[in-house]
Amino acid sequence: MRHIGFSTGAVAGGDFSSALALLAAYPEIDCIELSALRLHEVDPLVRAIPKLDLGRYIYISFHAPSFFTADEEAHLVETLERAVPKAWPIVLHPDAIHDAARWRALGNRVAIENMDRRKSGGRTAHELRSSFELLPDARFCFDLGHARQCDTSMTESYRILEAYGPRLAQLHVSEVNSASQHDPITYATKLGFQSVAHLIPPQVPLIIESRVSASEISKEVDAVIDSLPLLTEIAALT
Amino acid sequence: MLGKPDAHDRVIGNILSRYITEDRGLWYGSGSYKVPRFLLNDIARYWRTMAVDLAYKQRTRGGAGFALRTIKLRISRKLIYIAGLLSCFTYETDLDPAQRRAMFDGGPLPVLAHLKALMMRSPLEIAAGALLPFPELDVHSEGLFSAYDDFLGLLADDDKRGRLKKIPFEDLPKDPTFKEAQLISYRFRDAVQSIFLRSDNLLGKLTIEYGVF
Repeated sequence: MRHIGFSTGAVAGGDFSSALALLAAYPEIDCIELSALRLHEVDPLVRAIPKLDLGRYIYISFHAPSFFTADEEAHLVETLERAVPKAWPIVLHPDAIHDAARWRALGNRVAIENMDRRKSGGRTAHELRSSFELLPDARFCFDLGHARQCDTSMTESYRILEAYGPRLAQLHVSEVNSASQHDPITYATKLGFQSVAHLIPPQVPLIIESRVSASEISKEVDAVIDSLPLLTEIAALT
Repeated sequence: MLGKPDAHDRVIGNILSRYITEDRGLWYGSGSYKVPRFLLNDIARYWRTMAVDLAYKQRTRGGAGFALRTIKLRISRKLIYIAGLLSCFTYETDLDPAQRRAMFDGGPLPVLAHLKALMMRSPLEIAAGALLPFPELDVHSEGLFSAYDDFLGLLADDDKRGRLKKIPFEDLPKDPTFKEAQLISYRFRDAVQSIFLRSDNLLGKLTIEYGVF
């Protein structure tokens, strides 16, 4: 069985408390990504961390803001380094970085995420290389939806997994539509994801980013399980 | 390439994906070679279409531009076909049996990624990369590339290129520029035939087996 969780941002935007309350009703969810995609969401979230009831989760990550200025970067890195538990990967968009040296100091606590096609870099195995050269100890958050949006043949996903598989910390899983919004997984996307499922080790957590309502959570979990079967399950299907 | 490469990259990937994933012969065929036949068939079809297009333009435009078009067909357009053929042969020419088995055991994506990476290169690069591992063909490879180099030199000469665009049919037999171009095209043809139409080398064997019938 894969380890599956949600991004709090997918379930309730910046309202992490509501997201955690909502997800508490689903025992099959054993992972969580605390999302602070906007800079102003960071301080309330990190202040709340000591009080959050996260005991049921075997894996927790923290999504850093997707945009901040160069002047804001030093304070942000310092805040994350101090307030986010060391065991939690900090997911970071490569295009958000101004001064890589600041993030390099976080070592393997940083997980670089591949980008969607709106961005001009960080989308392909080749483009990600420069990010990992700047942050050689960083791990990798593979956004499968972004990769499929960039190449529906899934060849690029294969290349990315081949190049950065050993760095994998977690996956982001969702449909990414033509406007680069994260939607529930469609049948075509499920088939695409299945073609690379065998390359994703069983212990790697799957973080769902599909924007779903409360009533759609279970259905989306099932869709993700179907999309990324384990090697043994693939063998049983064939 | 016009514009950003993203869309081009996506389109190439999706087109090749169909040719690779849906070619049952490639995956389950009993043949001794791994060659994507449907892709090769359409590459050959495109080459023939370019040849037909020469005849069509000759009919609709008369002699205008004929000399330049026929020389391009004999050399640069033919090189496009050669690059397509060589791309289809890549699983045989670029991989040893163990590498080939490992790649095909990994399913369509590594097979597709290998082909796509190759086909994103220019025809000249594809041809050079494919010919380099065959030192026994060096003399013919040298003939092919030196003829191509002379062809590029000819087209880079504005006067000669301009002349090739304007030669009327009746002047072709005695025109020195066309004669020069023709001789280059003969050298290119001879080199191509010495490589691809002889069964004493792998490229020739594959061409005879897959490129003709």
